[in-house]
Amino acid sequence: MSTTQLLAPNVTAQHWADPSHPDDRPFIRRYIFSTDHKTIGNQFMFMSLFFLLVGGALAMMIRWQLGWPGQPMPGGGVLPETMAPGGILLPEFYNSLVTMHGTFMIFFAIMPLLVGMFGNWLIPLHVGASDMAFPRLNMMSFWSAVPAGFIMLASFVVEGGAAGAGWTAYPPLSAVPEYSGVSTGQQLWCVSLIILGFSSLMGAVNYITTIVNMRAPGMTWMRMPLPIWSLFITAILILLAIPILAGAAIMLLFDQTIGTTFFLPEAGGQPLLWQHLFWYFGHPEVYILILPAMGVASEVIANGSRKPIFGYPAMVGAIVAIAFLGWIVWGHHMFQSGMNPLLGSSFMLSTMIIAVPSAIKVFNWLGTIWRGDIHFHTPMLNALAFVGMFVIGGLSGVFMASTPVDIYIHDTYFIVAHLHYVLFGGSLFAIFAGIYFWFPKFFGRMLSPTLGKIHFALTFVFYNLVFFPMHNLGLGGMMRRIYDPNQYGFLEPLQPMNTFVSVFALALGVSQLVFFFNILWSLWRGEKAPENPWRSNSLEWSLASPPPHGNFEAMPAVYRGPYEYSYPGRGEDFWLQGEPPDGGAVHAPTGGAPVGEGVPQ
Amino acid sequence: MANKKPNYYLVWLYLLVLTIAEVGVAFLSGLPFEVLVFILLSLAIWKAALVAMYYMHLRFEPPRLVIIALAPLPLAVLITIVVVTMEVF
Amino acid sequence: MSEAAAIHAHAPRPMEGIRVYNVKLGMWVFLLSEVMFFSGLIGAYIILRFANPEQWAAPGEVLNVTLTAFNTFMLICSSVTMVKAFAAIEHGDQAGLKRWLLATIVLGAAFVGIQVFEYIKLAEHGFVPMASQYAADGGGPLYGSTFYTMTGFHGAHVTIGVLCLIFTLVKALRGHYTEEYYSGVEIMGLYWHFVDLVWIILFTIVYLI
Repeated sequence: MSTTQLLAPNVTAQHWADPSHPDDRPFIRRYIFSTDHKTIGNQFMFMSLFFLLVGGALAMMIRWQLGWPGQPMPGGGVLPETMAPGGILLPEFYNSLVTMHGTFMIFFAIMPLLVGMFGNWLIPLHVGASDMAFPRLNMMSFWSAVPAGFIMLASFVVEGGAAGAGWTAYPPLSAVPEYSGVSTGQQLWCVSLIILGFSSLMGAVNYITTIVNMRAPGMTWMRMPLPIWSLFITAILILLAIPILAGAAIMLLFDQTIGTTFFLPEAGGQPLLWQHLFWYFGHPEVYILILPAMGVASEVIANGSRKPIFGYPAMVGAIVAIAFLGWIVWGHHMFQSGMNPLLGSSFMLSTMIIAVPSAIKVFNWLGTIWRGDIHFHTPMLNALAFVGMFVIGGLSGVFMASTPVDIYIHDTYFIVAHLHYVLFGGSLFAIFAGIYFWFPKFFGRMLSPTLGKIHFALTFVFYNLVFFPMHNLGLGGMMRRIYDPNQYGFLEPLQPMNTFVSVFALALGVSQLVFFFNILWSLWRGEKAPENPWRSNSLEWSLASPPPHGNFEAMPAVYRGPYEYSYPGRGEDFWLQGEPPDGGAVHAPTGGAPVGEGVPQ
Repeated sequence: MANKKPNYYLVWLYLLVLTIAEVGVAFLSGLPFEVLVFILLSLAIWKAALVAMYYMHLRFEPPRLVIIALAPLPLAVLITIVVVTMEVF
Repeated sequence: MSEAAAIHAHAPRPMEGIRVYNVKLGMWVFLLSEVMFFSGLIGAYIILRFANPEQWAAPGEVLNVTLTAFNTFMLICSSVTMVKAFAAIEHGDQAGLKRWLLATIVLGAAFVGIQVFEYIKLAEHGFVPMASQYAADGGGPLYGSTFYTMTGFHGAHVTIGVLCLIFTLVKALRGHYTEEYYSGVEIMGLYWHFVDLVWIILFTIVYLI
C-alpha cells in the first residue's frame, strides 16, 4: 500500500472547466438537482430569502399586536378563525408567532444564508477547487433543508397550530399539549429540526473535508481568505453542536409522542436537562450565526478600505478563541434556573472573557479602515453598519453576562434588543454586504447601486429606531413573549413607545421590499458584471461571472495572501492571489505539495 | 505507510478476555459501587481504545488525523461532568 | 511508488492537506458528530440516573446480561471479520473480501435479531419506555426510557450498517474494489468499528453498572 495511491483520488477527482466543451447538462441537472456548488449556493439563497420573508411577515404581526393591542389587523381578515377571528390575533396564535419567528429566522434564514449560501458559494472558489469534496452529499444537504422548512411551515395549518413554546422549546411547556395548547405543531417542530440537523451535518462534513484536503498549491492555512477561516471554524461548531440538539429533540419527541418522561418531573425527569442540552448546542449556535458574518465583513472591509486586513493572524486567532470559549459559556442562558452561584460565577467569567477576542476583531476592523482609501460602495456601507451594530449588541451582551444584572433583565425586551442587535444588526447586515458583494459573481449581473444605497439607508435608520427603544422597554420591565403588556398597570406607560417601535418596524419591513425588488430586477435587467467589479484579490475574481461548471480550467496556483491591497510600487491597488509574480514568470508557490510535484507547469 | 499489520485475531482475543473480565467483575467481585464503576469504565475505555487503535487503524494514521479524531472527546467529557456537577451541588 | 502514482507525480496537485484521502477524512469527521450524539444521550442517562437512583434495578435483575454478553461477543467477532475483509482487499484477495463481508453481514444481522428478541421478551415483562405502562419487577420508568433510547439508537446504527454492508457486498460481487481502489471497504469498516466501539461503552454502562 502506498500513500501516494490513496492521495491520488484528490487529484483525479476534480473535473475542471473545459472551455472547448459546452456545458451539456440537462435542465434538471443544471438548475434543480445540481451538484455544482455555485448552483446549490444560489438555491440556498432563494430558499433562505423566502424564509426570511416568512419570518419577517410573522414579525410584522407580532409588532401589530404590541403596537395596537387588541385592534383588528389590516388584512388580518384573511387569517382563519383559529388564528385571528375578525383580524384580532388570538393569544395562542401570538405564541406560535413568536416561536415560529425565532425558529424561521435562526434555522431557516440566517443559518442557511451564512453557512449554506456563503459556504457553498465561496469555499471551493476561495480554496481553488473545482467543487466540494462530496458534490452529491452537498446536493442532499440542500434537498433535505427544503422539506424541513416546509414541514415547519406546514405546522401552521395542522390542528392546534404551530409550535408555541418559544424557539427554545422548554419542557414541560413544550412536552405536554395541555400546557401550550399545541400538540402536532410541537412535534413537527422537533421533526423539522432533526431533518435540518442532518442537512447541516452533511454540509459541515463537506466543508471541513474540502478546506482541509482540497486547497490549491500555495493556498497555505495563513493565506486563506477570512470567510473561509470563519466557515471552517463554523463547520466544526456545527459538526459537534448539532448532534446534541438532534439527541435532545429526539428525547423531547419521545416525551411528546410515546410517553417517556425524560423532561417531565412527575416521574423523575429533569426539565433542566433540556436546558443544558439545548444551550450546550445553543451557545455554539450563536457563534455559528455570527462567525461567518465576521468573515464576510472582514473581506468587504479590506476591499472597501483598499488596505490589507489589519492583524490577519490575530483575526484568525480571535475566530478560534471565540469558537473555543463558546463551548464553555452555555450556562449564562440559565442564570435564572436556580444554578449554584459558584457555577454561575464561572459561567459569568468565561462569558466576559469572550469580549476580549470580540474586541480584537473590532479593533482590527477599525485598524483596517484607519487611513484607508475608503470606497463607500453598497457592500462596504453594510459591512460598516455590521461593525457598529455588532459593537452595540456586544456591549449589551456584557450587561447580561453579569449574573446580578441578568436576574433583573432576564427574559425582558432587553434580551430581545440584544439578540436583534447581534442577529439583525450583526449577521443580517453582513449578509446584505455579502450578497451585494458576490451577487455579480454568481449571477453575472450587478445589483443596482442606487437601490442598494436606498435600501441600506432606510434599513439602517429604521432598524435603529425599532430596536434601540427595546432596551428601554426591557429595563421598564416588559416581558419577552408577552401578548398584551397593558394587562399590567406598570407596563401601560410604555404603550406609546411600543406603538413607536411598531410604526418603524412596519416601515423596516416595507423597506426590505426594495432589496427583494433589487434582486429580482437585477437578475434580468441588471448591468452585466465584469470579472472583477470590486477590484478584489481572491481566486474567484479571476474567473468569468458566473464561473463555468468546474470553476477553473486547471488547478490554480496561489502566490500570496488574499489582502494584498495597495501594494507599494504596483500600478494597481489590488493583486490577485493567482497572479504570478514578476508579470508572468512562473515560480513554484511556496508551501505546496511535495517538492517537484506541486508546481503548475 | 508500509506498516506492520497488527494481528487482528490477537486483538479480538484481547477484547474477549476484557469482556469476560468485565462481566466477572460486575457480578462476582462484590466491590463497593464506586470502585466497581471506576473499574468497569476503565475496562470499557480500554476496549474502546483497542478498537479505535487497531481495527480503525488510528495507530497507523498520520498524527493530524489522530488529533482530529480525538478532538471532540474533551467536549463530550465536559458536558457530562458539568451536567453531573449541577446535580451534585 | 507505483506506475499510477508516477503518472500523477507531474500533474499539479493540491496542498498536502491531512495525507488522508477525502472519503476517509469525511467519514472520520462524520464519526466525530456521532460521538457527540451519543455523548448527549449518555450525558442525559447519567444525570437522570444520578437524580433518581431508586429507578435503576441492580444489574441482571431486569435485563438479561447473559444474552447480551453473547450479543456483545458477536459484535466483537463482526469487527474482526470486517477488518479481515479490509485486509483481504488490501492484498487484492477478491474471494476473501466477499467471504469476510458476508460473515460480517450475518453477524450484524444476528445482533439486530437478538436485540429485537430481547426487546420483545423485556416488553412481555412490563419493561417498556412508556412511563404510565411500566410494570417490570424492579426499576422505574426512566430505566426503561433511557434503556430503549440508547440501545435503540445503537440498534438503528447497526441496522443501517448492515444495509450499507449489503450494498458494499453487491459492489464487491461486481468486482468494484481492487488492490488500488478500496476506499469504500475502508470507510465501511470505520463506520462498523465505530458502532462496535459505541456498543462496548453502552454495554458497560447500561447492563453492567
